[in-house]
Amino acid sequence: MSEEANIGVRMAFLGVVVIGLFAALFARIWFLQVLATEEFRVQADTNQVRLVTTSPIRGRILDRNGVILADNEYVGVLTVDPNEFADDEQRDFVLSEIERLTGESRDDLLVRLEDAGADPFAARVVVAGLDEQMLEIVTERALPGVTAEVSAIRIYPQGATAAHIVGYVGAQPKGWGARHPNDRYLPSDPVGRSGIEALFEQQLRGLPGARKIEVDRTNRIVRELGEDPSLAGHDVHLTIDLELQAAVEFFLDEGLRGRRGVQSEDDDRFFYPAYGGSAIVLDIRNGDVLAMASNPGFDPNWFIEGISREQFDSTFNDPLRPGALNNRAVQGLYAPGSVFKLVTSIAGTRAGVIGGRTQFEDEGFFEVPRDCGSTCRFRNAGNAVYGNIDLSLAITQSSDAYFYSIGYDLWNIPEPDERQWAIQDAAKDLGFGQQTGVQLPFEKAGRVPDAEIKRNLFEARPDVYLAEENSIFWVPGDNINLSVGQGFLTVTPLQLVNAYATWANGGTMFQPNIADRIESRRVGTVGDVVLEIGPRVVRQLDFSDVPRSVINEGLEGVTIARNTRSGLTEGTAFTAFRGWDNRGYGVVGKTGTAEADGINRALGRKKEDTAVFVGWAPRDDPRYAVVVVLEEAGFGGEAAAPVARNIIDALRKLEQNWEDPEDLPLVPVDQPGSSCPQIPITLLRDPTYIFRVPEGCPYGIPTPVITATTVDPEAENQ
Amino acid sequence: MMPQRSVLNDRSRHRATQSPLRHIDWTLPALAIGIAVFGGFMNYSSTWRLLEFNGDDPYFFARRQAVFISVGIFAMVIAASVDYRIVRDFAPQLYLAILVVLVAVLFIGKEVNGAKAWFQLPSFQLQPAEFGKLVVIVTLASFAANQGGRLGLNGLLNAIAIVVIPMVLIFRQPDIGTMLVYVAIMMGMLLIAGAKIRHITVLSVLGIIMIVTVFNAETLFGTPLLGESQSDRLVAFLDQDADLGDTGYNLDQSQIALGAGGLTGRGWLQGTQTNLQLVPEQQTDFIFTAAGEEFGFMFGSLPLMSAYLLLMWRILRAGQLSRDLFGTLVCAGVLSMLMYQIFQNLGMTMGIMPITGIPLPFMSHGGSSIITAFVAIGLVINVRSHRFSS
Repeated sequence: MSEEANIGVRMAFLGVVVIGLFAALFARIWFLQVLATEEFRVQADTNQVRLVTTSPIRGRILDRNGVILADNEYVGVLTVDPNEFADDEQRDFVLSEIERLTGESRDDLLVRLEDAGADPFAARVVVAGLDEQMLEIVTERALPGVTAEVSAIRIYPQGATAAHIVGYVGAQPKGWGARHPNDRYLPSDPVGRSGIEALFEQQLRGLPGARKIEVDRTNRIVRELGEDPSLAGHDVHLTIDLELQAAVEFFLDEGLRGRRGVQSEDDDRFFYPAYGGSAIVLDIRNGDVLAMASNPGFDPNWFIEGISREQFDSTFNDPLRPGALNNRAVQGLYAPGSVFKLVTSIAGTRAGVIGGRTQFEDEGFFEVPRDCGSTCRFRNAGNAVYGNIDLSLAITQSSDAYFYSIGYDLWNIPEPDERQWAIQDAAKDLGFGQQTGVQLPFEKAGRVPDAEIKRNLFEARPDVYLAEENSIFWVPGDNINLSVGQGFLTVTPLQLVNAYATWANGGTMFQPNIADRIESRRVGTVGDVVLEIGPRVVRQLDFSDVPRSVINEGLEGVTIARNTRSGLTEGTAFTAFRGWDNRGYGVVGKTGTAEADGINRALGRKKEDTAVFVGWAPRDDPRYAVVVVLEEAGFGGEAAAPVARNIIDALRKLEQNWEDPEDLPLVPVDQPGSSCPQIPITLLRDPTYIFRVPEGCPYGIPTPVITATTVDPEAENQ
Repeated sequence: MMPQRSVLNDRSRHRATQSPLRHIDWTLPALAIGIAVFGGFMNYSSTWRLLEFNGDDPYFFARRQAVFISVGIFAMVIAASVDYRIVRDFAPQLYLAILVVLVAVLFIGKEVNGAKAWFQLPSFQLQPAEFGKLVVIVTLASFAANQGGRLGLNGLLNAIAIVVIPMVLIFRQPDIGTMLVYVAIMMGMLLIAGAKIRHITVLSVLGIIMIVTVFNAETLFGTPLLGESQSDRLVAFLDQDADLGDTGYNLDQSQIALGAGGLTGRGWLQGTQTNLQLVPEQQTDFIFTAAGEEFGFMFGSLPLMSAYLLLMWRILRAGQLSRDLFGTLVCAGVLSMLMYQIFQNLGMTMGIMPITGIPLPFMSHGGSSIITAFVAIGLVINVRSHRFSS
């Protein structure tokens, strides 16, 4: 009994302790929340903590030898927040003070301050390039709304060279923040707008950091509470060789300028406009893009430092040099003309409508056998008559009649036989009508036309197409036009060069690479390869059913004069390659003179022909494929081939300094059952994480969806 | 006290009255679950903004806490349904097991903020010292019950040894905050177990000296004994508060937050101190601050603290009503454990206790702590519901 009572008392004592402790808590919370609340609330309102996002340092872009194409520079900038001004009078005072201190003209300052396109709540950079002393002077003046600080800006040390590949950074397009809700973009953060800068925005940008600061009611910093440092963006290393790139750009420009002084073949009152063009050098052994030029061009630094009205107009508003921002190598869509005859040759021999050595009588035209009036007669260019020829000579001399007949014979194959679409099939095999997958934004797919595509075109725009009294069905003329690379067919220069590269290397089709690898620049992992992009094989083509030697004989003859039964036969690019060291570094290829549809609006007359040359070198050990496309420049052999010659000449010299690329293992992409993991999205979220590509897994960069903001050359040409 | 015992002895009642189900005190689980659910909301309120700022799922902590609570409730049901006397039979085995685990964690544990107190499991960490509290309660209760309500000097030293061995292991981690919970459990249970008043007095004096020493270790010896925090930290971001070396700062901010909450609070998700992450360890050690700031005295602190008080009262009642000394001792142990944690944690946020990182039962984010608290309540329900069973 006494024992139980004892426990009872002790339990009661425990209860008393509980009540005592709670009494203390209640008393304290009563004091805090009821008696002293006013005082605390004032403190809570005055002391605020701000999380301030700090921008990371953007990664660089480098060429294959480590030459820097895009970098950052630290400069003193003066920003003004227009929302801080009490009234216009105060604003005027501040502006005149800045004018006095920095010497910038008041009008310029006002223009920059009232930039209509900028976010109205963001502070604006009004003066850049201030030195430290000036920064101090401005800071000491303590002008309202004015901040003077050191800030990193993007610079492009190579200027206009490789500008279309590198791209540029600029103000965020509308809705950017909403599309990237989790990436903590500040409204004033520049973002990649085109080229590598846009495609690799995520990798280049890095991860923003944050500073936690306590501020008082007037936004003055009371103390720094902590910092989560930003993480630098990764470097993107490209496959291009800057020296070659510069040479290719120079010769492309030189070629275009030259054509502007040549009278048009069709109408000698006019000169060729030679609006622009593109040239590409591709390594056929691994798909590396060694150079890729597009003309006209621009200097990406203009987007950073600002551009004058004059500069802007002369570059972007010149009707005679349209689409300066476009990378014509991947965005330009052209009828390829005769260079497409390689595809028709493959299709015709594969379908069995011709043999490599079958003789053909070229009378200067091809007539559709059924009576359908004069429009059924398709003539050779320049009404030339080539006489008795075989496939090889038809290619060397570029006989249209020969290929017209292939086009017609294929069309004539009755319905269930799939061979009637042999040209289309061969074209798609060689990569036409689809994106090549190069790491550049806005790449066009082009079009390999067939009955269905034609019908869709006509149904979508009957006003445009039926006006030409054309049939909505796939008629003989459609296949005949296609056989010589005309009609509804459109291709990009990159597709052309990649198709020829695939043919030249025996059938290995690569996705061209312009990005080689991504390297870390973060503390502790500097130089580590974050992502290695190896050769990416799309598919292996089989040309065993095609007389390769006959076709190559024809292509080899294009740049030389070859012996035939009827004496020396000059290829279509013979003149351009006169005196070339054919033994040592033979050039194999094809010229094209493609009719361009439509009217040149700026000049108000029919468009001149597109001049094309595509081929490879050296003949005996194919290493490089080259394409040159010149808009409205006339004959391929006359306009494009000389440019190609200059490029190959430069290539031959520069090649001496290059190491032989090692024999890299080739693994097909999209290999069935392959266990290669996807590139994790977390790649950049985790600072310590480095994605190592498993052996044998080739990786490309998945193409992010980017809203096209540059001008579409196709739309422009309409 | 006495009247209840006479009811217990009244055999005239129907036999079904012995069924444990009929004697469950539903207030106990209701209070525990109610506080836990409220805690889940506060977990969200105190973390969503930072998570969103970082581009993470704003429900991350709330979702995890919901899982912990569910597991906790399940564990509570188990702990309430197995007759607690079976637990008593297994006390030695449990005790040995927890010692092994506490040793193991020193070698293979994951170090968080300088304390090797966690086992890393996929997606969460296990803190054995939390579960160890329950094992110590059961073991000590079992030992003391066998002593028949009186503890001589020998018994007392044995009882102390039972608690001190795991305490030493936890001290090695080092996790002083949790270690002090063991001290509280020991003091509460020794009182009920029948230790002599003079022994308790001596122990108390020693305990107070120890606590004061620990809290002032930095001034006395130049090295702090208290870890900055022993809580489960998942967001390493902006964790550099500790680098400021300014514990007073945290304390100030916590009090400002509570004070600013005032009588009626600033509204759900509206607490500026809470939202701005001014108060550190918002979802763990300082979770009460969020409740106090956003719901104020009337709708936050007062109801919450009353719920805790009521919970303590029901545990005390269960201990008084227990049919045996073992049950009473288990309840006393649970009461001491929860009471110390509540007082220490709330007192810390209010600025009347120094900062030691121990979780607020049922509220703070963390799986081990939530599950331990629920199992403790399960044991109390168990003791109470079996008071008539033979």
